Amino acid sequence: MEEKLRILEDLNMIYIRQIALSLKDSDIQKKIDHEIRMRDGACKLLAACSQRDQALEASKSLLTCNTRIMAYMSELQRMKEAQVMQRVARRSSDAGPMDDRHPCKAKVAISDLRIPLMWKDTEYFKNKGELHRCAVFCLLQLGGQSFDTDMVMVDRTLTDICFENTIVFEEVSPGFELRVELYSSSWEDGGSAGSTPRKLASKLSSSLGRSAGKRMRAAMEPGGNSPTSHGGGTTLLLPVPSVPGPKYHLLAHTTLTLTHVQDSFRTHDLSITANEECSFWLPLYGSVCCRLAAQPHCMTQQMMSGQLRVKLGGDPQGWTDIYGVLKGTKLFCYHKQDDKEASVDPAVTIGINKETRIRAAEKDPHSKAQSICISNQYGGEEVTHTLSTDSREDTQRWMEAFWQQFYDMSQWKQCCDDLMKIDLPSPRKPALISPKQGSLYHEMGKNLLDLLHVHIYYMGHTRLAIPCFLTADLRMFLTFSLFLSFPYSHSLLLFFHLCFFRSTSPCHFNFDWLYLATPCTHPLPPAPSAPAPVCEGLLLQDNAVSAEIRALLSSYYSDR
Amino acid sequence: MSQTFHIPGQPITAYVQRIEIKKLREGSNLILGFSIGGGIDQDPGQNPFSEDKTDKGIYVTRVTPGGPAEDAGLIMGDKIMQVNGWDMTMVTHDQARKKLTKKSEDVVRLLVTRKSLEDAVRKSM
Repeated sequence: MEEKLRILEDLNMIYIRQIALSLKDSDIQKKIDHEIRMRDGACKLLAACSQRDQALEASKSLLTCNTRIMAYMSELQRMKEAQVMQRVARRSSDAGPMDDRHPCKAKVAISDLRIPLMWKDTEYFKNKGELHRCAVFCLLQLGGQSFDTDMVMVDRTLTDICFENTIVFEEVSPGFELRVELYSSSWEDGGSAGSTPRKLASKLSSSLGRSAGKRMRAAMEPGGNSPTSHGGGTTLLLPVPSVPGPKYHLLAHTTLTLTHVQDSFRTHDLSITANEECSFWLPLYGSVCCRLAAQPHCMTQQMMSGQLRVKLGGDPQGWTDIYGVLKGTKLFCYHKQDDKEASVDPAVTIGINKETRIRAAEKDPHSKAQSICISNQYGGEEVTHTLSTDSREDTQRWMEAFWQQFYDMSQWKQCCDDLMKIDLPSPRKPALISPKQGSLYHEMGKNLLDLLHVHIYYMGHTRLAIPCFLTADLRMFLTFSLFLSFPYSHSLLLFFHLCFFRSTSPCHFNFDWLYLATPCTHPLPPAPSAPAPVCEGLLLQDNAVSAEIRALLSSYYSDR
Repeated sequence: MSQTFHIPGQPITAYVQRIEIKKLREGSNLILGFSIGGGIDQDPGQNPFSEDKTDKGIYVTRVTPGGPAEDAGLIMGDKIMQVNGWDMTMVTHDQARKKLTKKSEDVVRLLVTRKSLEDAVRKSM
């Protein structure tokens, strides 16, 4: 059965790649390949993990990868369809000139996600009994882009699930649909295969309360978790390799659109898709609070600029040469083009908003080009500015720019009233080393931070694929700097652990499927592009760095 | 309709102003530039800024001149209704302080209200 599944999977991958090739879209192809590699990596990591929190992280990455692959595949399907439709349209000479004015794109950011919980008062104030914990995270999808938030552990001492991430989507059109999905996995759920022996399991479940025991028993039943739980309806197209380990289930979801965008915090309703019997259940209040902001390009970018002449107050016949810049809701008129770079205040600023009326004036008998009249209502008064250009083409271009601006504003509605701020969190300092992770982490963290580089390379027959969730491009030769913040060090330990696992003595290391899984959202220093000279092997080098690592690891193993 | 006489449990409506404070980074500290008083665990009779002496909300007691709060337009005597989406009308003093001084946030978005705001709105209507 597994053989068949694997063959099916390979066939699907070939199919996907073929479509991508036929569309000659190398961009999507690269993205799909990247995601497939990450997915393989996540599967292997999940199988190799022994620590629960690492397994949860790997499972989360797996789900995200699956979702991304599904999104890319549907995008490919759409592109294929569009291509076919275009061919059909070309054949039929019916297609008249359509007004294909497209609204500008925007940057959409969602932040400060908060989901209130509604524990029963008996649950909330309980002091004893097992602490039923769940690992939750949010998956956000817009168009073809999917992002996951960091994982948060939730138990009955929390009143809200808070996600501190700010997720930014680029190049979004006004008709967007941002799907927010909350996935949860019970802490007692799964674990690596055979981690809970049957006898212990039955003992535990019988000694716990009735509902908790029911949940545990359901969780520990083989095949109790459906294979569809790794990312929605991916069964048919992407049969998931049955990987042991914690699985996430969809707990709630909602869809946000342009109407929900506002420059402040708002509460939206959540649709809950699970019930109390599930092991991953959390008592949600039923709403999600967040800040959804959008910055359309028409508000942030210069839409049009050029030389203009404007009639400034006083002299009705005199024209002043100015350099006009159309951006956001204003037309800035600078005396010179350089003034804009020098941040000198513009001579005149003309408002261009929903209330503005623009029309082409009658042809001036003295000049060749038409003038443009811009009227605004200030208070009770109507103020009109008259602009003129050197040629008819220029006038045409400016009118076109104004029409496009009006169209964008009508499409983006409330986002064009004022520029909404999007704050990207500043890169935080490395998290403080928490003593409860054990002395080895502390040791490793402190000492490894002193090392400069660790080289991992392709070693002959030993396959050394490193799907690294950190770097954008995947290379067989990978150099990564060890100036890492602490959360990464525990994954480094996994890698060392794996290689130790397969060695007989501390001095010989075989590399076999090393995986590094870390939260995707942390920024990392970029890996240098030039590969360093190939040397012996990670820990077989004859230098202080390797010696130190060897000493560290041997001390770790002697402590055990 | 601000707090001349509020019945607990009934919804409050108020005219609010949005204030966005960008915290100032000084070394490893993030500075806001103002102090707060009040909270459900404090004595509301001591509050010099509130109209309703039973109001246990969070009030701004001091604004550091030249600090980030002053730049953003916060005035002494303002009542803070919301911080980054979190309600401030029914919290303890410590809870309010925690929501304002989160190390992971560089910007706090407050909703504040003051008597002069309400008067201004009434006059313009």
